[in-house]
Amino acid sequence: MIPALGRTLILLALLAASGGALVGFATGARPTAVGWLWARRLAYAFAALMALANLVMEYALLTHDFSVSYVAHVGSRSVPTWVSMVSLWSSLEGSILFWGLVMGVYVAVATWQNRDKHPEYMPYAVGVWLLCGAFFSFLLAGPAQPFSTVPSPPLDGPGPNALLQNHYLMVIHPPFLYSGYVGMTIPFGLACAALLVGRLGHDFIRPLRNFLLLPWIFLTVAIVLGGWWAYEVLGWGGYWAWDPVENASFLPWLTATAALHSALLVERKGVLKGWTVTLVIGTWLLTILGTFMTRSGVFNSVHSFTQSAIGPTILVFLAAALILSVVLLTLRVDSLAPEGTLETGPSRDAVFLVQNLLFVLFTFTVLLGTVFPLVVEAARGVQMSVGRPYFDKMSVPIGVALLFVMGVGPALPWGRATSQQVRSALLPPLLTAAAFAVLGFLLDVRNAWTMLALFFGGFTAHVTVSEFLLPVRQRMRSHGEGFLEAFGQAQRRGQRRFGAYVVHAGALLAIVAIGVSSTMGTSKEIQLRAGESTALGAYTLTFVTAERVSEPHRESIRARMDVSKNGRPLGSLYPRMNQYESQREPIGTPAVRTSLTEDLYLSIHNIDPDSGTVGLLVLVNPMVGWIWIATAIMALGGLVALVPSWRGARVAVTETAPVAGASPEGSH
Amino acid sequence: MATAPIPGAAPARTSRMNPWVLAGGLAVVVPLLAVLVLNLGRDPRSVRSPLIGRAAPAFSLAPVGGGAPISLESLRGRPAIINFWATWCVPCFEEHAALTAAARTFREVHFLGIVYEDEEATTQAFLAQRGSSYSSLLDPEGRTAIAYGVFGVPETFFIDGAGRIVEKYVGPLDRGTIAALIARAKGGAP
Amino acid sequence: MNRVALALVLVAAPSLAAAQASRATAGGIEAPRSHPLSGAELDARTSDIGALLRCPVCQGLSVADSPSSMARNMKAEVREKLAAGYDQEQILASFERSYGEFVRLDPPMRGVNWLVWLAPLAGLAAGGAAVAWALKRSSRNAGAAEATGPASAASDLPSRDTLPADPRLAAAVRRSRELAYGWPGGIPPKPRSSAS
Repeated sequence: MIPALGRTLILLALLAASGGALVGFATGARPTAVGWLWARRLAYAFAALMALANLVMEYALLTHDFSVSYVAHVGSRSVPTWVSMVSLWSSLEGSILFWGLVMGVYVAVATWQNRDKHPEYMPYAVGVWLLCGAFFSFLLAGPAQPFSTVPSPPLDGPGPNALLQNHYLMVIHPPFLYSGYVGMTIPFGLACAALLVGRLGHDFIRPLRNFLLLPWIFLTVAIVLGGWWAYEVLGWGGYWAWDPVENASFLPWLTATAALHSALLVERKGVLKGWTVTLVIGTWLLTILGTFMTRSGVFNSVHSFTQSAIGPTILVFLAAALILSVVLLTLRVDSLAPEGTLETGPSRDAVFLVQNLLFVLFTFTVLLGTVFPLVVEAARGVQMSVGRPYFDKMSVPIGVALLFVMGVGPALPWGRATSQQVRSALLPPLLTAAAFAVLGFLLDVRNAWTMLALFFGGFTAHVTVSEFLLPVRQRMRSHGEGFLEAFGQAQRRGQRRFGAYVVHAGALLAIVAIGVSSTMGTSKEIQLRAGESTALGAYTLTFVTAERVSEPHRESIRARMDVSKNGRPLGSLYPRMNQYESQREPIGTPAVRTSLTEDLYLSIHNIDPDSGTVGLLVLVNPMVGWIWIATAIMALGGLVALVPSWRGARVAVTETAPVAGASPEGSH
Repeated sequence: MATAPIPGAAPARTSRMNPWVLAGGLAVVVPLLAVLVLNLGRDPRSVRSPLIGRAAPAFSLAPVGGGAPISLESLRGRPAIINFWATWCVPCFEEHAALTAAARTFREVHFLGIVYEDEEATTQAFLAQRGSSYSSLLDPEGRTAIAYGVFGVPETFFIDGAGRIVEKYVGPLDRGTIAALIARAKGGAP
Repeated sequence: MNRVALALVLVAAPSLAAAQASRATAGGIEAPRSHPLSGAELDARTSDIGALLRCPVCQGLSVADSPSSMARNMKAEVREKLAAGYDQEQILASFERSYGEFVRLDPPMRGVNWLVWLAPLAGLAAGGAAVAWALKRSSRNAGAAEATGPASAASDLPSRDTLPADPRLAAAVRRSRELAYGWPGGIPPKPRSSAS
């Protein structure tokens, strides 16, 4: 019964999406109130049907209904309940079903929020969204059908991939990732609508920007959660290996960040409309490319699902999407005429362009490196690898350059600046920069790039803090308010700006922390017998004992390591080796002790409780905890910037007075 | 289409093509799609061996259960089959019978097993239980496996009389394949 | 491959005067080209070279990072070779002979591989030119735009797709548009097939 119900729901969703797409495009071309009404209704119907299909699947997973093919594939009676719930998105077909859910929610919210606004654009936007929805429904109805009936249902299933049962992070990483990834469909639809209509009105940039920012926040968190998962679970001591699937999530983030900044220029000066629309479309195309990369089995990746008919189907969709996007842009981008001009001299405008260039260059480099082994295979017939050393070499200069630009940009005024203004804007932060560099030197930083990152980090930190407090100081001066009151008032009037600087602060912290943790760590590999100790840095580790632990879904052996730092005992860490029934090789779980300055990281290579020996990898990684904190700051900043726009607060854009430090109140 | 000027209205839409966007777009899209399509269906994890057609790497390893080391040099003059295997590898069980039988049939071919990441005691027990018609050698630090570019087990190398690798077969062998590949090793590329 | 080795040999010829640079047995053993390492330097170089080799049985991890026994064996072999005095290129080449170019995580400079190193630099140059051109074009348009008058929404009057800032006034404007045009929100979209 359940399989048939699920299949019916998906088929209905496909019908609703296809019908809605047709109605949407027809209404866009020949607008009627009835047409718009039905486009909306079909959009809501698609969302509701997808939600129901997901609920049905959850129900089947929780009741272990093995007559449903997907449940027979990943369900198991012996796993904890949370694992059963999370199995919805743990494997190929289920994750596409989850994709449909997230898309439905986004489409419903975006449609409802704009149900009586932007009537020229919205039917087109809904048409595009539902066209994407129709494709994913088609995938679910055909190649990736999760609700096939299993003729003779087994009594129990194999359970999801063992790696996914290892850590709670698996519960939140995919939902965040999908909320980011799938969410990019919404600004894509809005951008296509602008192209189809032939203009990008001043008021329309607002929903475009909001619906770009919201998935961006999710995607930022998701990318770092993925890194955290690799760090806490995989046991090799790092958090980013430039694996194709990691790059797949990173690429759209880069272009989305570039788009957010150029959207700012559209809003302020009415320039770069075509470029922003191109970036937004590129972001969505990268999400589809990304999903192809992870699902097609074409790329050699830690995350790859097995090959199936889904790969070619997505490739056809991707090809069609790429070609149609190029055609649409070719025919319509010129109609998005600029309404203002960019400042050519040293000014924030020019720095914005440089920043966009850096982000696009970064995207291009990472994409090239990821796809290159396939290029060489096709050209030379040789299998080769493009791995971490290449990506690290390429990304470090770009990252440091971005850090610098993040400082120079906000320091300069919007309009043309005189050389006097430039000097007074850029010199004071240089002192802070030098101070940071000296501090780094005193703390034994010798790597040139890390030094440069600290130098620019200091520069950018100075600029960010002073720009952050600038409206506060102005209010204190002009209105005579105290600091807290001025802060509250300035924040309420310029919340977007505040949010943006909070994000910048988080980003600069992340870049500096990544630089320091990558170059200042120490490591040691050692074999220990019970009772033996080893030391690394200020830490002393004693291997006490190895004990066996039994859980319903796995057998583990864990080592008790007593830790002390500078002689002071800090407790025990328990790195583990887990043996799952379905895997031949055991999977290790490292033990990590995080403090504000550094992480102590223990990972087991081999362990034998009978002979009482353990082979360990010990790492001391400085400043890793700051990366996670920095990401939380970025997400918080994004939310702060997003909230006033959702509430519909309209703050008048103060006209661009080309004087440094002029009235920064108002929207950023 | 445009009538009285309304504040904020855009100028009439022009339907011209932007050749730069078209060129740039196609320059990105066409190679990308070509690369993806050409690679569809290829398994990125199966890596072709660079040793095929080249001289087999030398080794000198002790057999399971003790005895004088056996070297690659000693196999020269006759075709040889070197099979990397382990007791924990399920497909290796499957091919063990086929290989044992083939070793008895093709007496003019040297058959050798090399144990991969396993323990001597376990291997000895396995061979005692399952029987064997040829020696298996121990590779304690995996150096020979590395030299032969072994990714996993079972992997089998077919070597001709001159010591050149004719073929590397990944996965469990069956009698038909063994016979066919031995024929190639005998026919032997110069 | 042999060409590269030969080129390196020619370049390093003086220091090889004492060593025999002949290819000996079927194993193709060459003489070490560098000096033997030991101690902390040996550890550091082993890690460095390990980071350039791909662990064949893992997914994209380097030999330095991977805990698998194959990776540890490979790392031990790197260490042995460094202690014997082989240099980085020789060690990487020896693994490449067994596993193919696949095992090198840093693409070596041969054939079409140059593209992966040059293309980002070319992109930077091209992008820089594009930015300069965009800024120049914008300044050229500045003159033209001033002549046609302000088209941006600097005024507070409601235009086709905006409403005034005050919420009650906005609601009133919306309602009056609805009464006038019968469209939700009150503004009908521009008709496509109209005469002028």
